[in-house]
Amino acid sequence: MCGIAGILYKDTVNKAEVGKALISMLDGCQHRGPDSTGFSLYYESTPGQLRLRFIVGQGAEADKAVAMVKEKLSQYQAKIIEDERIGSSYRVVVEFDGDLQKFAFDMEHAAKLSSIGESLDIIKDVGGAHNVDDIYHVAKFEGTHGIGHVRLATESDVAPEASHPFWATGFADISIVHNGQITNYYKMRRRLEKNGYFFNTDNDSELIAVYLADKLKHGVSLNHALKSSIEDMDGTFSFLVSTKDEIGYAKDRLAAKPMVKYEDDKIIAIASEEVSLNRLFPGKALETTEPAPGTCETWHRSTSA
Amino acid sequence: MASIDLSVTPVREANELIRKFGAEGEDIDIFNPDARHHIGVGLTHPITVTIKGSAGYFCAGLTDGPRFIVERNVGWGLADNMLHGSVVVNGNASAIAGVAIRGAEVVVKGNIGSRAGQVMKEGTLLACGNASFMAGYMMYGGRLIILGDSGPQVGQDMTGGSIYVAGKVADLGTDAMLIDLPAEERDDLLAFLERYQVPFNGTFQKIVNAGKKLRYPRNEPRVRPIPFFEASGDSAYWNAKVQEDIYVKAQIGRYRIRGYGAARPMPHLSDLAFKRDLSSIPADPGLVSQVDLRTEFGGRNGGTPIKLSMPVTIAPMSYGALSKSAKLALAIASRLSDVSENTGEGGMSKEQREEAKQIIYQCLAGRLGWNIHDMNKANGLEIYISQGAKPGLGGQLMAKKVTPAIAKIRGIPAGIDLRSPSRHPDVLGADDLVIKVEEFREATGYRIPVSVKLGAGRVRDDIKIAWKDGFDFIELDGMQGSTGAAGVEVLEFVGIPTLSAIQEAVDALKEVGGYEDMPIVLMGGIKDGIDTMKALALGARAVAMGTSAIIAGGCISCLQCHVGSCVTGIATQDPEHEKRYNVPVEAQNIHRFLEGVRWQIAALTRALGYTNPHQISRDDLVALTPEAAAITRLPYAPEYRAMQEDFLRKAS
Repeated sequence: MCGIAGILYKDTVNKAEVGKALISMLDGCQHRGPDSTGFSLYYESTPGQLRLRFIVGQGAEADKAVAMVKEKLSQYQAKIIEDERIGSSYRVVVEFDGDLQKFAFDMEHAAKLSSIGESLDIIKDVGGAHNVDDIYHVAKFEGTHGIGHVRLATESDVAPEASHPFWATGFADISIVHNGQITNYYKMRRRLEKNGYFFNTDNDSELIAVYLADKLKHGVSLNHALKSSIEDMDGTFSFLVSTKDEIGYAKDRLAAKPMVKYEDDKIIAIASEEVSLNRLFPGKALETTEPAPGTCETWHRSTSA
Repeated sequence: MASIDLSVTPVREANELIRKFGAEGEDIDIFNPDARHHIGVGLTHPITVTIKGSAGYFCAGLTDGPRFIVERNVGWGLADNMLHGSVVVNGNASAIAGVAIRGAEVVVKGNIGSRAGQVMKEGTLLACGNASFMAGYMMYGGRLIILGDSGPQVGQDMTGGSIYVAGKVADLGTDAMLIDLPAEERDDLLAFLERYQVPFNGTFQKIVNAGKKLRYPRNEPRVRPIPFFEASGDSAYWNAKVQEDIYVKAQIGRYRIRGYGAARPMPHLSDLAFKRDLSSIPADPGLVSQVDLRTEFGGRNGGTPIKLSMPVTIAPMSYGALSKSAKLALAIASRLSDVSENTGEGGMSKEQREEAKQIIYQCLAGRLGWNIHDMNKANGLEIYISQGAKPGLGGQLMAKKVTPAIAKIRGIPAGIDLRSPSRHPDVLGADDLVIKVEEFREATGYRIPVSVKLGAGRVRDDIKIAWKDGFDFIELDGMQGSTGAAGVEVLEFVGIPTLSAIQEAVDALKEVGGYEDMPIVLMGGIKDGIDTMKALALGARAVAMGTSAIIAGGCISCLQCHVGSCVTGIATQDPEHEKRYNVPVEAQNIHRFLEGVRWQIAALTRALGYTNPHQISRDDLVALTPEAAAITRLPYAPEYRAMQEDFLRKAS
């Protein structure tokens, strides 16, 4: 039960104020989810390097978790380039070029893994968009795209690890934010688990991330993966997905969850409510559209300067 | 001409200003709306409000009389429940545009989102562009005009009204059909378009209800009714009730419907006892004056709290399920005993409002009888999500009770088997509910407490959501809650018992730290002052009584409430039957019963050594059965049974 927002700047390689834009949009729909806020930010990648973020909590418990992470990293001979303890998380950039899925599943046993990617960094914590920004300095982030989420917990806990965005465990750089409920969750999850996938939480939204990652792994385009997700998933959903180079949305056939998009030459912005989009353009009446039920769309970022 | 700039004036303040200018007859321009929600809600004066940009959810909602112009788009729930007046939107409207309108004219120059015109009753909704999924869903009346394409499943489960489509009709919803357009209707449509300066020279297809689902195909045969207290008989497997049930189902080939609540045995407050020897209870009628029974709730967000002379309210029962006379007797009794009355689903009658001192106004998914004027007259507002008798389902009112008078107050066609929608058009999740609650607060200037009625299912999760959504109080209804009509299987087998419900609710509120903030009014099989005290000990602030109140007022518990020919004149709309109901006499009976409840509460309060019933706590209770102990975590102490029985003989 939530609000979602995403933005992609089409006309720049990496210099747009994505962090600030996401904070404004999420603050605009904070009434939809006061419990926690999260951001998927996409940095320029450096070949051979991986960004990892763990949720470690505070104090002695956190010290222990960080030590465990470091030990696991050394087992994999992943050299730490930089690391940082911030808020309830531990962020580390390492040199690594082995089997990512095995590495990720193993790192999962060291501490609660928030994200792994060449460019993806998921920041999420309890509180509103501005609270999370105060701790993690999301506003400083510049890039081409990102997605975010505000959460009202209905069935699971109010905790950083239960917040969105969700990373597709084991797959670099894929993340989703979701508003709604997947009703055939267990059936779909069992199917994916049989194929060797690992789930971090019991949250239905994580399923969407893993489902899409599985499709992408088999060479399906993001657009086609979204199309098949509408066929395969039951329930009410509006979700956004992001990869290193693309963002996209899918909306269920019942149109039970809201979504509005705004597009011009420079940006594509999507949010649960127009009030979030309007935050980007105060005082302006926007030409927006509401995606039709059962549809999806994707946008690719510009890859040349 | 006044102007309001929403970049500096918060919406709450702006709405107060809009109403003030409205009263002065001054038109208003709204600048920098930036798609904010709730602009103009609750306005009841015929002024023009021009919104210079886009508006968010519930623009022009809960209004009567004004003219709104929106320069660009609007969010969900445009003109929600608008009675008269008009809205013109120059851009697109999101989902459920024109939801539950009752006479308004709503014109959208662009496209409309899904479920446009859901449960609309009267008036016109025009989309100059395309409609989306399920346009005209469950509409009861009025006109929906779509100049573009219809979108899928147009007219799904519509009951009345007409849909006119100029573009392509994608496919028809359940129980909708295409018919020829009479020439004079075309002229009416063209006149409407001309009035709003919409150029058009195409042709229309007309969609109406096909009439296949408005009535159950076969009525139940007449059999000798088995009264409620026999229906709950001894044998759990073969008994007279089972025999009757098989016989009737063999005739009708579907589920059965009856009144009242769950009859099968289940853990209840009677499985608890007070942990003290209450044999010394004084038979002194004056002891009521020795205790302070006053009870208050609903002020969490600054509204005027409901103030009761004791921790008892009348449970929601509709005018429709009950006759106007029965509702009147309840209202009078509630005033005489200084407790609150509740409208139930069918709207607020003038007489009922005049007789009741305090009344809670219930808002259901069908918005039957819901309007801004009665909201403003209420002492409490209640968003019904579900009820204990039939969690997850809407109300049922069989055709015999859907008389022209009932149809009029509810805004529906007469003579149908009314199956009210089970889901609110605008509440598909906790996130939407936040915005809905805010709409009610904005429309009534934050004066009136807003509560939520929950049928006991997943209470722990539901209560936490209710707390986060900011409700002022909870009306929690256990599985033993009764109703005027529901499927028997649902009555007997869906939900959790009242005892489990209150325990889970209190646990959940304590987990989130909301126990002090959000009081619970417990209902579902609360018979008397003894049950009331047990409910209070478990953590309720007050209780609601429905079944016991109508029994006090003459009900014979024959379970035939749904049929419509109630012999006592309570559950009927037939004037001949209603004549049998003597309002002043029954009002006095209900009042005397409530005073008996008051005495029981006072006596128990004194016997337990308190001066106020709210001082009672879990420490005063034990469980008499292992099941009740497991549910409540109270000590299992069957040795108190004999003492309890002795006490009950004395106290009743």
